[in-house]
Amino acid sequence: MTWSRRDLLALLSAAPLSPVLARPPQSPVTTVNGVVFGVETFSFHDLPPAGDPALIPTIIGNLRALGIAECEIMSGHIEPFPSVMTGWWVQSRRAPDFARLREEARRWRLSVPMSYYTDIRRRFEDAGLRIYLYNVNFNETFTDAERHRTFEAARALGAEGFSSSTVLSEARRLVPFVEKHQMFVAMHNHNNLVDPDQFATPESFETALAMSPRFHVTLDIGHFTAGNNDAVAFVRQHHARIVNIHVRDRKRNNGPNRPFGQGDTPIAEVLRLIRDNRYRIRCYLEYEYGSFRPSLEEVKACFEYCRTVLAS
Amino acid sequence: MTTRPGRWLAALLALSAAAAGVRADGRQARDAGGLRAPTAALERGRAVYVLNHCHFCHGTDLTRATMGAANLSQSPLVGADTDGETIGAIVKAGLPNLQTAMPSYAELTPAEIVDLARYIHYLRQQVRFRELSTVADAPAGDAAAGRAYFNGPGNCGACHSPTGDLSGIGGKYDLRTLTARLLRPGPATPAEGRQPSTGLAAHLRLLENYVPADVQNLVAFLSGLR
Repeated sequence: MTWSRRDLLALLSAAPLSPVLARPPQSPVTTVNGVVFGVETFSFHDLPPAGDPALIPTIIGNLRALGIAECEIMSGHIEPFPSVMTGWWVQSRRAPDFARLREEARRWRLSVPMSYYTDIRRRFEDAGLRIYLYNVNFNETFTDAERHRTFEAARALGAEGFSSSTVLSEARRLVPFVEKHQMFVAMHNHNNLVDPDQFATPESFETALAMSPRFHVTLDIGHFTAGNNDAVAFVRQHHARIVNIHVRDRKRNNGPNRPFGQGDTPIAEVLRLIRDNRYRIRCYLEYEYGSFRPSLEEVKACFEYCRTVLAS
Repeated sequence: MTTRPGRWLAALLALSAAAAGVRADGRQARDAGGLRAPTAALERGRAVYVLNHCHFCHGTDLTRATMGAANLSQSPLVGADTDGETIGAIVKAGLPNLQTAMPSYAELTPAEIVDLARYIHYLRQQVRFRELSTVADAPAGDAAAGRAYFNGPGNCGACHSPTGDLSGIGGKYDLRTLTARLLRPGPATPAEGRQPSTGLAAHLRLLENYVPADVQNLVAFLSGLR
């Protein structure tokens, strides 16, 4: 992890203005030409299964190998059960055993001591790393007690807030929770343009942003492009409310993920826009194109691509 | 001591095994996209499957569907497909109405679609053979229902006869062998460059679409032919 004078100046100039970036000065951060980078842990597709004792050490090892200090960690990488038990995927709710599994997940969440989370936080911090965002897909199968407990868990992990693949109807339920816990939720988009409850368009984000000043955006620029939206225009217009972007490359017209630089997503334009305007937007790598190589090698290649475009 | 020609032969064998995705210890080689396929044609299909990141949602062997994706080892749409006509239509159009929208792979060529479909069918047959061959461990079938399936939806009578080629088959094989032969009366690994015979293809199509009760009933019927 290298720091240039430009990186330090960029961070110092940004910090007083941004509640999102405000943190103790010793918090680790990785920058490239002033742009802060992190990883969405979904990128590591070959991790041990949920609950495996090797899971967290593998994520930590991968981040250290990448030289990237912070991450957005998925709840499925924290909680000791598959994320399918937490109800986000509507298809999974039709499984015959879903109600029992969902209740099992709920009971675990409501009973696990907070030391479970603080121990994970300590392991990241001991390795010079940081969980910046907790990725929890809030949905209608959560009880209020569970929502409350999940906010406590995020704080115990040391996260500033959440990134969430959620829906507008659930965002309305979250308003009192972000106020009570004084934490933000950044809405993450996919590209379902049919269901108006989904985050997929500028309008869907704007509807949520109007609900609470503690609602922000995790803009997945690949999905946004696949939905035929203009990521550059959205970043320019809404940069003050965007916590982070997920950097991936997809083709337009609901096209597939492609290696960085081979899709239609304006990765270079967005990264340079953030760099040149010193927007306080973190750039999180998300690897999801196909490859025969291990995930870590591909995330390295993604990071290298970003370094290259930011060098010019 | 290995002679020089022996060493060459060993090297050649190792090379051909590697080309077929087999490691020196005889196990199938594995990479981030799962096990290497046993033939070059299936390996082309695996490349389409993996490089278009199908495995992230549907699993490297079809059994670990995640993110709301369909379990392709059980999907009726895959079961209805013969050589890519159904799979190809879905893959090219994508499923934009799904919660997180399955991407559209409109750029795939017809040849890539066929390769992909054959690879998916190969994986499905492996999974369903493993799953269904265990029914012999607890035979509880209904022989009459098995006969009805034989003469009805299974269309087995088109090639076989209980009083002809199958006469006495119940005394010839134990239940486990009988079940295995019913499910897949051919090699587990397809031959390079050859499509299965019409008869084997019909069995493999049934294999992809049986429910366990069908197999239990057929085994009960066939094991009674003595």
